[in-house]
Amino acid sequence: MPASEPLIVFCSPGDRRSAGIQQARLRLGMPPALLIPYAGLLEGQPLADLLEQAVQQQVRDGMPEQAGLPTPGLNGAPGRAQLEQPDSLDGSNGRPTPDFPDGSGGRPALDSPAQAGPPLLRLESSDGSFSRHPALDSSAQARPPLLRLESPGGSFGLERALIALGAPDAPDTDDSLHPFGQQPDLRPLSFKAAAALKDMPGVLHHPSQWFRGYCRLLAHIRREAGQLLPASRWTNDPAEIAAMTDKRRTQQILAEAGVPVPRPLCGSGGQAPVDYASLRELMLTQRMHRVFIKLASGSAASGVIAYQLNPATGAEVAVTTIGVENYITRPPVYYNSGKLQRYTDSARLAGIINWLYRHGAYAEQWIPKPGISGHSFDIRQLVVAGEACHAVARVSTTPITNLHLRSQRMTPAEAGLPEEMQAQVRRSAEASLAAFPRCSIAGIDVLVGSSGRTYTADVNPFGDLLYDVEYQGCSTYEWEMKQLSGRNLSL
Amino acid sequence: MTAVKLSIDYDGFEEGKRMETEIERLSASPEAADLTSLTIGDWGQAYENSSEETVQALVKHSASFPALRKLFIGEMGYEECEISWITQSDLSPLLPAYPELQSLTIQGGTSLRLSQLQHEKLEELIIITGGLGKVVLADIAASTLPNLQKLELYLGVDNYGFDGGLEDLYPLIEPAKFPKLTYLGLKNSEIQDEIASALADAPILDQLHTLDLSLGTLSDTGAEALLASERIKGLKLLNLSHHYLSDEMMLRLKNSGLPVDISDQQKADDDDDWRYPSITE
Repeated sequence: MPASEPLIVFCSPGDRRSAGIQQARLRLGMPPALLIPYAGLLEGQPLADLLEQAVQQQVRDGMPEQAGLPTPGLNGAPGRAQLEQPDSLDGSNGRPTPDFPDGSGGRPALDSPAQAGPPLLRLESSDGSFSRHPALDSSAQARPPLLRLESPGGSFGLERALIALGAPDAPDTDDSLHPFGQQPDLRPLSFKAAAALKDMPGVLHHPSQWFRGYCRLLAHIRREAGQLLPASRWTNDPAEIAAMTDKRRTQQILAEAGVPVPRPLCGSGGQAPVDYASLRELMLTQRMHRVFIKLASGSAASGVIAYQLNPATGAEVAVTTIGVENYITRPPVYYNSGKLQRYTDSARLAGIINWLYRHGAYAEQWIPKPGISGHSFDIRQLVVAGEACHAVARVSTTPITNLHLRSQRMTPAEAGLPEEMQAQVRRSAEASLAAFPRCSIAGIDVLVGSSGRTYTADVNPFGDLLYDVEYQGCSTYEWEMKQLSGRNLSL
Repeated sequence: MTAVKLSIDYDGFEEGKRMETEIERLSASPEAADLTSLTIGDWGQAYENSSEETVQALVKHSASFPALRKLFIGEMGYEECEISWITQSDLSPLLPAYPELQSLTIQGGTSLRLSQLQHEKLEELIIITGGLGKVVLADIAASTLPNLQKLELYLGVDNYGFDGGLEDLYPLIEPAKFPKLTYLGLKNSEIQDEIASALADAPILDQLHTLDLSLGTLSDTGAEALLASERIKGLKLLNLSHHYLSDEMMLRLKNSGLPVDISDQQKADDDDDWRYPSITE
């Protein structure tokens, strides 16, 4: 195996994802990854400090000889870090180009200048490569690290911190990675109010502000990593992760790249619905009577509605993960319901759909999924470094197939998808990831239409948490580690 | 022996594909002569367009399908059309057009009629709906189906079109109505207890081998009436699958020696309120 570069993972250490990565590296005989906690970054700790802590943690864990750690140079010369000027993404329709004018902008709390490195960490060269500390390895020169972002989920504390970071009065207001950053979020929470949010399981507190906060965190990490580790490379560039996390932008990028996507609901002049009334009107005028409405920044089927409007009778039916608690004296609370809800009354639907559009929503044609005896399925196809690998058919008796919603999991073949269609799904997924040239890993949700056409419904930058599925004898994380180490990423 | 399913998806319909044309094409194909089973799926946005043109085309080309014994009109899932929104039409013209037909299955109750329901050989009539109108029950009550052996009606709920009551079902369970009937399904009903009670000691039980009361809201009340009946003991199968019976009642049924299917217990208090965080997998 070629000498692998060190891997630095931004994550919630101890969660299933980081554990899966460490386990994969252990099995492959690779040094463990350095884990940088989002929580630390959100608390304002400099990346340099967190990195040092991660290195020390590994030394304490007693695996220095195999750590192959980067010892990022922090010899008090932050000015030498020539910031790479990130290219703008092509076809950024009105989308701001990531801008890092001097690398110093942003949140003071998170941006304190790099400290003079403690003895363990020493800059050795100015070309961005790193040497190992003598305590770890005095011989070889290490390669510049690979940087990887993991899902920012899993704890309410993180969710709350991101909503706070998305506040209009947050200390860091770098919206350069937000695809629609110029549009203010409606009814925002102040930094203080957001920080005081209480944990109510499953409650969607403020999705649009959460997304803004997330984009600001991504911009911050990208900026700080660019300064501290200028030669490092991303498995998935934060800018593209931001784009993938907004379905409006994702589908736009895919369509521009010529990847078939479900037809978006929009008027002849391209205008998208903005609320319940315009949604219904467009559904009638465009003759698209069955749609999926999705929260633009949602994941895990959060904020998804399978909605039908009967043009003959005006009746409507929605099947959704969105649950509602109504109150007399305050606005309703919306939550992620593990049991799918079914709504047919207009007043309730108007409330839900208007709320969804307030936070940014996307409506597209409901492609009937294939299936047998009341079960239908779509395919989650993982693509790593341009190549389709692990695939899972998500089989459900409901329109929403996400695995945690009690869907069954099968191989595409078990679900009845013929080999030539499986190949088409793979090609379709590969083309989808190729539309994001700075990303090397994504789980693509592919729909197979009844006439043999495939459509990309979603691109998930963290869509690789798939258990018990192997490709060439490897788990998802093992395959990624093998494919991405020691090779050139398309960055 | 061949079986064919015809279906038109959303895009196909938007692009001008029509069920009438598909039926005509099938009628001109080599397999038409041997076709024994034909399933009509979505005829194209069935929530807006009724099955009328489809029925007309099937009638028009009936001479091309001399072997047809089994016909299904409206087989589609929720991925294609909400069941209760499937717009049917009067399907009775199909019956004289296919005098050898043995089995007719219909899915979708909206605008459904069977105004002239007469057939010498039909053995099975199955109607799957989210709500069956009493006008259709009256059509069936007025029918002449001397060879009918299986009648299976998914009655549904009033929200989706069930506007009848027991009084509309009584004419169907007169023993003389369908003398050869051996399988009776009055199921998927929100008045399942009333139906069970009405059937528990009905004379028609003497000729049945299967009584199917599945998929409805059957509770201990209905089951109590069934258990109290002597007539029920002659059945080969009492299908109560998907029910709201108590554990105790299930045990009693199990111990009764009746050939009863009590699978798929539902829980009325099971509102299943588990919630999940937005960002998980």
